[in-house]
Amino acid sequence: MPAYHSSFNDGQYRSLGNIALLPIKTKIRGPAPSAVDAETDDIVDEAIGLFRANCFFRNFEIKGGGDRALIYLLLFIQECLQKLQKLPSSVEGQRMLLTHALQNFAIPGENQFPLNAMYEKPVSKNDQDQLRQYLSQLRQECATRLATKIYDGKEVPSKWWLCFSKRKFMGLPNVGTMA
Amino acid sequence: MTHAPAVVIDNGTGYTKAGYAGNNDPQFIIPTCLALRESQGGNLSTKRGIEDLDYFIGDEALANSKTYGISYPIRHGTVDNWDHMEKFHQALLFHYLRCEPEDHHFLLTEPPLNPPENREYTAEIFFESFGAKGMYIAVQAVLALAASWAHGKTEQTLTGTVIDSGDGVTHVIPVAEGYVIDSAIKHIPIAGRDITQFVQQLLRERENSIPPEDSLEVAKRIKEMYSYVCPDIVKEFKKYESEGDKWFKRHEFVHSVTKKSYTIDVGFERFLGPEIFFSPEIVSPDFLTPLPQVVDEVIQGCPIDTRRGLYKNIVLSGGSTMYKDFGRRLQRDIKNMVVARLRHYESVAQVNLAQDQQIQGKNVDVNVISHKKQRYAVWFGGSLLADTAEFNSCYHTKAQYEEHGPSIARFNKVFASIH
Repeated sequence: MPAYHSSFNDGQYRSLGNIALLPIKTKIRGPAPSAVDAETDDIVDEAIGLFRANCFFRNFEIKGGGDRALIYLLLFIQECLQKLQKLPSSVEGQRMLLTHALQNFAIPGENQFPLNAMYEKPVSKNDQDQLRQYLSQLRQECATRLATKIYDGKEVPSKWWLCFSKRKFMGLPNVGTMA
Repeated sequence: MTHAPAVVIDNGTGYTKAGYAGNNDPQFIIPTCLALRESQGGNLSTKRGIEDLDYFIGDEALANSKTYGISYPIRHGTVDNWDHMEKFHQALLFHYLRCEPEDHHFLLTEPPLNPPENREYTAEIFFESFGAKGMYIAVQAVLALAASWAHGKTEQTLTGTVIDSGDGVTHVIPVAEGYVIDSAIKHIPIAGRDITQFVQQLLRERENSIPPEDSLEVAKRIKEMYSYVCPDIVKEFKKYESEGDKWFKRHEFVHSVTKKSYTIDVGFERFLGPEIFFSPEIVSPDFLTPLPQVVDEVIQGCPIDTRRGLYKNIVLSGGSTMYKDFGRRLQRDIKNMVVARLRHYESVAQVNLAQDQQIQGKNVDVNVISHKKQRYAVWFGGSLLADTAEFNSCYHTKAQYEEHGPSIARFNKVFASIH
C-alpha cells in the first residue's frame, strides 16, 4: 500500500504558489478561511493523524495542492518531535514548540527552502506575503494541537510519539527551520 | 499392521521437519545444520578410527558450536553440500527417528525449480547408503495444497496458488492440477527474519530498558506473541490512541545473563511488523511491490484457463503466514485488484458494442485459505498423502532402482510423466 494522501486534493480551493489555501479551525489570524464544521477534520488534524503512518514512506506522489500542504505539515511535525528530544516539561515543551513555529522561516521560492523542486514560487508580492502568513498560521495551529496530543495531560512527552522522531518522511529531515 | 508407516521428511533451509505418516504433527523439528570436527588428528575419535561418527545435528549441533564447526547443508531451499546432507539424514534416521530404512517408505520434499540431478542424488543416498524400501520425492507446494484439504470447507483440488513464507524468503507458486507452473513462480525477499529486524528497530527507537545482547530474542518473542495484520494503519494508530488500554501490552522478560527481570511496552510494532508484506516500502529501499500485487501478477502470468482456479484457492504455508488476519487482508487486497481489472475490461469492451447491448463479466472468486496446520503445512500434507492406500503404488522401490539406476527419481508416478 502506498503512503496516504490528503483528502483536500480534489476540492475547489485557491492556491498560493501551488499550495492549496485550505480552511482551518483556528483562532490565529491569517489568510486561511475558517472551517465551518468544528466536527470534521481539517488539514492540521489530517497531518497529525497521518504522520505516524506516512513517516515510514520514502516515496510520495504529489496529487494536488492539498498534498503540498500535508507534506509541509508532516515535515514540520518531524521538526517538532526533534525539538522535544530532551524531554522538557509540559509547559516548557509547549512554549518551545510555539517559539519554533513562530521563528523566521523560508517560504517556497526562497533559497533556504529545501523543497523548491516540488513547490512553485508565488506569482506576486501579495501572494508571497499571504503564503508566509498562511504557513505561519499552519505552523502555530499545528504546534499547539501537537503539544496537546504529545503531552496528553502528562508532564513528559509521550514515548509513543517521540519514537518517530528519527523517521524521515520522503527521506527529508525537515522543512528548513531546524538549526 | 500390514506395513510400517512411511517416514515423511521435509528439509527446509532453516528447519527440518520429520516424522511418521499419519501423525498430525512432525515428531522432530530441528535446525537443518550439523556440527563437525574441523581439525583432524589429536582427539580421541581419530585414535579409535571413528571420526566419521563424531558429529551432531540439529539443536545438539548448535549446543556444541564452540568446539565444532557448524555447517548448513541447505541454502535457499536447495541442497548445497551432499556429503553433509547424507550425514544429516543418517543421524536423523538412526538417532532421532530410530527406524530401519529397509522396512519403511520415505516421502521427501523438494523446493520449486529443483534441478532433476538433485533428485538423483537423493535417490542414491536413500537407496544405496540406507537401503530404503521405497522413496518418493514430492514438490513442497503440492503438499501444501494437500494440507489445506484438512480445512474441510474446500473441495479437494490440486489447483491453487501457494504462498510459502518461512524465515528467509517468500515464494508464490501456482500449481495447476498438480503441476507446478515453473515459469510464473515469484520470490519475494521479505520474510520472517525481516519482520523480526523491523520489530527490533522499532523497539530500539523507543524502549531503552532492553539489554542489547537480548534485543534480537526480545524482538522475536514479541513478533511471535503479539503480531497481527490490520486493515488500515492510520485507523489502527487512532485505535491505539483512543483505546490504549486494550491495545498496548506489557511483557516481562528475564535478562539472559544477569537473570534480572525487566518490562517492555508493546505497541505499534504489533501491526507494523506484518505490515511490511503489504507495504514493503517501509523497510526496503529496493523492493516495493506489495504481496497481494505479486500474487496477482503470478496468477496473471499463468495460462488463462487456470487463472480462475488459482484465484479460488490461494493457500498459505509456513510460519510467517501465521499472523492473525493475514489471510483476510490478503484476500481483500487481491479481490480489489481483480474487481478493478474486471470493471476496466468491461468498460473497454462496452465501447465496441452497440448502445443497447450490455456486457457483464463473470465475477472471479478470490479465496485465501487459512487453516490450523499452516505452520508445518508441507510436512502435514506429506503425512496425509503418504497415509493413503493409493499412494503406496507411487513410491520408487529398491528393486526398480537396482534395475534402472538413479534416473528413476526423475519420473513421477502421480503424473506419469518425466518432470
